[in-house]
Amino acid sequence: MTYRIVIDGLACSGFGDCADLAPDIFELDSHGKALLRVGTSTDPAVLDAASACPMGAITVEEVPD
Amino acid sequence: MKTDPTFWLLARASGLTAYLLLTLSVLAGLILKSRPFGRAVKAASVMDLHRLLSMLGLASLGVHGTMLLLDRTVHMPVSGLFVPGASPYRPVSVALGVIAAELMALVVVSFSVRKLIGQKRWRLLHWTTYAIFGLATAHGLLAGSDSAQPWARDLYLGAVAAIVFATAWRASYKPSRSAHKARVG
Repeated sequence: MTYRIVIDGLACSGFGDCADLAPDIFELDSHGKALLRVGTSTDPAVLDAASACPMGAITVEEVPD
Repeated sequence: MKTDPTFWLLARASGLTAYLLLTLSVLAGLILKSRPFGRAVKAASVMDLHRLLSMLGLASLGVHGTMLLLDRTVHMPVSGLFVPGASPYRPVSVALGVIAAELMALVVVSFSVRKLIGQKRWRLLHWTTYAIFGLATAHGLLAGSDSAQPWARDLYLGAVAAIVFATAWRASYKPSRSAHKARVG
């Protein structure tokens, strides 16, 4: 399964949980805001990251392979 | 003529309610990070609950202060609610509650301005929650007229135990996706 990831930049408050849980997919910029390293991923860790975001700023959509 | 105890009873009940809500809010905040329920509970929902509990706690503090002003048992002046030590009733014990309430208001309001003050400063400010909880516990025990009651002691003991346990859990929690990695292979 491939996942398409979208970050709501306005909602992101820089808690950093996404980068902790899926460091290959998320990183934090100099202001602590989440950035995507990739647009899509097959790693289910993105689901953890989306679920762990306290601001609900990460949306994950399943893309049919 | 007998004094109407209604406001005194409401002051005590709202104080205990505020303490309970503060405890539950801190627990929700700790669960937000340690995530004992995993993906079953979204962190954003816990965050909403955390904020709701803290705002209800502040509202209860507002009721607590208002009832103390209206009550004729302790004759609390307005300054006693805002200036630590200005209360004629148990001034030191009440001062602990005043400082806790003012810090709590600051922490709750800080969420709305976290982008302005920056995430790092906001996190630092959030650490004062432990001081708030400690001050509120001391205030309840020392200023509360129900503290000698077994149920009140159990309440304070239970709250402190719950916060200590949840803090220990939070401290030992390390974000991990090992379960997924193992499953995905």
